[in-house]
Amino acid sequence: MSEPDDPNRFERVDWDEIDRSGRLHTPTRTAFIVAMVLFAALYALESSNVISLGWRLELLDWVILLGVAVLLSLVVVPAVRQRDLTLRVLGRLVSRPIHAAAVGFLAVLSFVAVVGPIIVGSPELAFQHRFHAPYGFTSEAGWHADCLGTMTAGEGVTRYCEGSLTYPLGTDHRGHPLGHLLIEGARIALYVLVFTAAFVVPLAAIVGILAGFRGGRIDDLLMGYVDIQLCIPAIVVFFIGYMYWNVSLLLLLVMFGLFSWGGIARLVRSETLQRREDGYVLVARSLGASPLYIAKRHIVPNITNTLIPAVFHLLALLVLVEAGVAFLGFHHIELYSWGSTIQEGLDPPLTGIGFVMDPHEIWWVSTFPAIALTLTLASLKLVGDGLRDALDPRRTH
Amino acid sequence: MTDHSTDRSRSPAVQPDHDTQSDAAGDRAAVPDDSHPLLEVENLETHFPITRGLLRREVGRVRAVDGVSFEIRDGEAFGLVGESGSGKTTTALSALRLEEPTGGEIRFDGDSIMSLSGADLRAFRRRAQLVVQDPNEAFNPRLTIGQAVAEPLALHGMDDADRRQAIVTDLLERVGLSADDVDRYPHEFSGGEKQRIAIARALVLNPDLIVADEPTSALDGRVQSDVLALLDELRREFDIAVLFISHDIDVVRRFCDRIGVMYLGEIVEQGPTDEVLEAPAHPYTRTLLGSVPSLDPSDRELVRPLTDTIPDPSDPPSGCRFHTRCPELIPPEDVDLDRELWQTIAAFRFTLQADELPAAIEPDAGTTAVDEATVRETFGLPSDIPDERVDRGVDDAVDAIVRGDLEVARDRLAEAIPTVCERSTPSDGTDCERPVRCHRYDPSVDAEPLSWP
Repeated sequence: MSEPDDPNRFERVDWDEIDRSGRLHTPTRTAFIVAMVLFAALYALESSNVISLGWRLELLDWVILLGVAVLLSLVVVPAVRQRDLTLRVLGRLVSRPIHAAAVGFLAVLSFVAVVGPIIVGSPELAFQHRFHAPYGFTSEAGWHADCLGTMTAGEGVTRYCEGSLTYPLGTDHRGHPLGHLLIEGARIALYVLVFTAAFVVPLAAIVGILAGFRGGRIDDLLMGYVDIQLCIPAIVVFFIGYMYWNVSLLLLLVMFGLFSWGGIARLVRSETLQRREDGYVLVARSLGASPLYIAKRHIVPNITNTLIPAVFHLLALLVLVEAGVAFLGFHHIELYSWGSTIQEGLDPPLTGIGFVMDPHEIWWVSTFPAIALTLTLASLKLVGDGLRDALDPRRTH
Repeated sequence: MTDHSTDRSRSPAVQPDHDTQSDAAGDRAAVPDDSHPLLEVENLETHFPITRGLLRREVGRVRAVDGVSFEIRDGEAFGLVGESGSGKTTTALSALRLEEPTGGEIRFDGDSIMSLSGADLRAFRRRAQLVVQDPNEAFNPRLTIGQAVAEPLALHGMDDADRRQAIVTDLLERVGLSADDVDRYPHEFSGGEKQRIAIARALVLNPDLIVADEPTSALDGRVQSDVLALLDELRREFDIAVLFISHDIDVVRRFCDRIGVMYLGEIVEQGPTDEVLEAPAHPYTRTLLGSVPSLDPSDRELVRPLTDTIPDPSDPPSGCRFHTRCPELIPPEDVDLDRELWQTIAAFRFTLQADELPAAIEPDAGTTAVDEATVRETFGLPSDIPDERVDRGVDDAVDAIVRGDLEVARDRLAEAIPTVCERSTPSDGTDCERPVRCHRYDPSVDAEPLSWP
């Protein structure tokens, strides 16, 4: 215990000297504003054609860039500020091998999705190299004009072309290397993840917390809207949009994003309703804490047990939905989603024009993206569960 | 630690409502002849609307607090006792401006708290603190104890994290925990330890008032005493006023200087603790004291409430709110019955009214034939009552019950035994040295207070 005249005793604090600074500029808010200003400046520069950035960005890319800026300032900056906590949570997250593997896979996926397209560029048509088998496997030589590997003789006139290291994972019917397609698919999956995490999840959380915390008419209104929204299948709205506008990934993200947050909002609301009566919320209110502060510090951290798995479930769901819609063929033709690649690999009469072949004869075209998709979904679910456990100090591994 | 009190006595002239003092320790000075109490609650009303439908039309009101007045002076411990549902907690939360009162006024240090804003409101938020009932939900499970106790400091603008840490560590040691505990999470502590930490959190801003909402009801015996002793010691050392909410009359007896007894949103009796508990004036206070287990069962006869159901606060009884349960219900002027018989008949009436019928005569319970004898036996009613009008009323009511027509039975009894307690609302009686809301203390009503053994 300290000496009675130690200034660091509670009764020695002179509260008149301590001015409650407005503290409007927290690092998080500063980072958010800086990120938004930079983003706006970049957009203005690019669209005004004064200075060329050297590459052309689509609207989709801008939206995703905005999402990255949001995530950086709202997630990464606070995480870096609370380094100790972040490191402890990460340590707990990777303490189980399966969760560590899942985290590793998602990290590799994100890295490949960002860096891959820059290195390999856009895939180009190379019909002369189509249906090359992966390294170590063979394909019928007649399918492609130009066999890069060794030719081996089969029965009768049939000859086989062995896969080569030029295309270690083989090629599809356009001669696109599968590795290349996987990278493109990873980029699209990452777009879905960024869009959902940056726009859909905060929307759901804000609506849920607002409804739960304020109650009354606001609650009735918001939850009434959510009920209506939950009755409208997103895919129908997407197809309506598909009829009238250009098909694009952005349309899919916006439609499915806008129509899929209701469940999480309800979940957050009911959790908030429970938490807001808790003693610590009452004490924080009696201390004059603002509703925003209470939501951030006391509500959100305490609903992670349900929120985090639900969010990761939604992320996985939307990745799967994107793949599914692309599988059905309603995707932008220049975007090589895993879903569309799987479909092309399963439908050789359509894609392998002029040849008679079974899907299993070109198994690599559908199998590799299917594996990538499966691993992504499984990793998302695992990381969701792992993160929930890691965030809860009461759980011990 | 003793220097604090000397500090205070050195500067008795400083008025507590001046926030410009430079002496940090003597932030406020207890002035014996202070012109106004620290907390004044005047006619506080907190009604909660019951709404229905999309437009939230108001269809009724729960009168959680209905005209409560009391005051707390510097350094004084004021206890509010009453059963659950009596409005104690709502009163406490209203006093902290956590519930919006629908009427009345609450003044802290002379200023109405509802009109505070800006720096004044922040000062109020700093000077009045809350300790909640359940230690298990008093702390955010995701924050360490150190963070939780430092939160008030941070919220009130102390940006220096090292200083916060130093103050919190020191304070935790002074309430009986160790410095290493700051990095542990709430679930690692016992209930008693958590309540000590909760007290530390309420103390860290050096408040003038602590509102403690049943701070020990979730704890058991020994721990309860320890926590109470700690709170009492701190209160005396730092001269903090305490608004102490409890349903446990023994705890209040040990801790409080003065108490107010609450029933259905009203304070029925208030005064110095020993006076109120030694010579309880209001029948409700007497039943509360009577509910403390006694070794002699005959002791309790006088103070047993007529019925056990607390009436619905959205539809409180007319007149005196306690009349439906009051063992000292005032009989009609022209009725002269033996006290015990009168109680039996009143219990019969209000049991019927509260719809608390014993299974033996419950018409829906499937027992086919309810005869007159059963009904009389169940309620202990004699076959002949020495007052003609009452006798007729009881006879009719018993007949109506036998027919299964409870509505008629209720009406007949209400007609036969009217009481002033039901008709008019008592004001704080003058026939007692302290405010007591009972007709027996009203000189204009022809009924004398009963003596307390």
